[in-house]
Amino acid sequence: MGNVERCDKTLALNEMIFYVRRDARLRERWKTDLAGLAKEFGLSTAEYEALRDQDVRRLNEMGIHQYYIPQILRLFHGAGANANTSAVIDAYRRAFPAETAQAEEAAKHGSVLVGRSLEKDGERATPSRPERR
Amino acid sequence: MARIVAAMAMTHGPGLTGWFDAAPKEYQELTLAATAEMRRRLEAARPDVIVAFSNDHLLNWPINNTPEYTVGIGDTHVGPADWYDEWLAMATKYRIPGHPALAKYLVSEGARRRLALAYLRQMQFDDGFSVPMHYLNPAGHIPLVPVAMNCTVPPIPTPARAYEVGGLFRDMLRQWSGPERIAILATGGLSHEPGGPRYLYVDEEFDRWFLELLAKGDHAAILREVTLERMEAAGSGGTAELLAWMAALAFTTGPADVLAYMPAVAWRTGTGMVVWNDVEN
Repeated sequence: MGNVERCDKTLALNEMIFYVRRDARLRERWKTDLAGLAKEFGLSTAEYEALRDQDVRRLNEMGIHQYYIPQILRLFHGAGANANTSAVIDAYRRAFPAETAQAEEAAKHGSVLVGRSLEKDGERATPSRPERR
Repeated sequence: MARIVAAMAMTHGPGLTGWFDAAPKEYQELTLAATAEMRRRLEAARPDVIVAFSNDHLLNWPINNTPEYTVGIGDTHVGPADWYDEWLAMATKYRIPGHPALAKYLVSEGARRRLALAYLRQMQFDDGFSVPMHYLNPAGHIPLVPVAMNCTVPPIPTPARAYEVGGLFRDMLRQWSGPERIAILATGGLSHEPGGPRYLYVDEEFDRWFLELLAKGDHAAILREVTLERMEAAGSGGTAELLAWMAALAFTTGPADVLAYMPAVAWRTGTGMVVWNDVEN
């Protein structure tokens, strides 16, 4: 099975992120008192150090759920504008250079598939982005 | 009696709203065209309610307790959750009416059919529901019953199980005593590996193969070929969001109309939009 199967659901950090993301006060403490927060949630020294160092590879190898790893980075760097030029993705380029380079190379050769029902009269209308009301 | 009037599926990647402009122009235009076509067909079906299936990205339940399925039974659904405002570039919250009577019926009727459905009065919403609602229900005028799924915390359910549960939902919805016209929406996928070592990886070969199977419409072949192992190989922890599509598949017969596909590394997910031509009633 895939990488996600490697996660250790019982790690305290895997529980902590759930609560921090949902609570503005905890998100603020993340910035000002990470060590105290980690202690309250019962993180091991290894968990805390990997978290403090924002070490993507170590977090992955110790069993932090992979979905939470970029969420952890966003708690440090902000959640906006998370394109592939962001600090979060740069951390992945450093942690997994071969995998990331391979994906970025493949992106140069991908091609789209346009369904027949969008190609009426050989032309496709381009609507604007929906407006919320 | 209630009727199923539409079934469709689309990717919900946060880049589709959060960093839309980062993808090639061709991808942006195709996404807008395909979602506009989905919206046109959705509105043409005149649904009274959308029942939507999507992965819960560890937002509503902590990792020590992740139900397989959770139904949102609230009067009103407000999203996105605060943490997702900035990520999804949604500065203002959306409000979509729920359908508490139908949602509560599903929870109770599910129990009678040996299907354990958790429920929440105030479900929180990440990209899974927020992105498709942005494109398909932007005014929030079609009521929503959200069904959040576990597609990412081991043990991840199998495609066969998702199809089985989709069938139970289909049977329960058809037996709902109200006159509602019900649209089914599945969101998630296609290939991606959120937060894994292959975070930027998109498996175009898998995605096209999967969509081709949907276009052929042979359910037995889909269930035989599209295993959880195959999904995981195409992007661990993310591609299995296609379990939502498997649940929707149980509402359909025959071929799906594949509107569009993009191997969108810029959005970090294979991106596709599908409408099924025929639904089971």
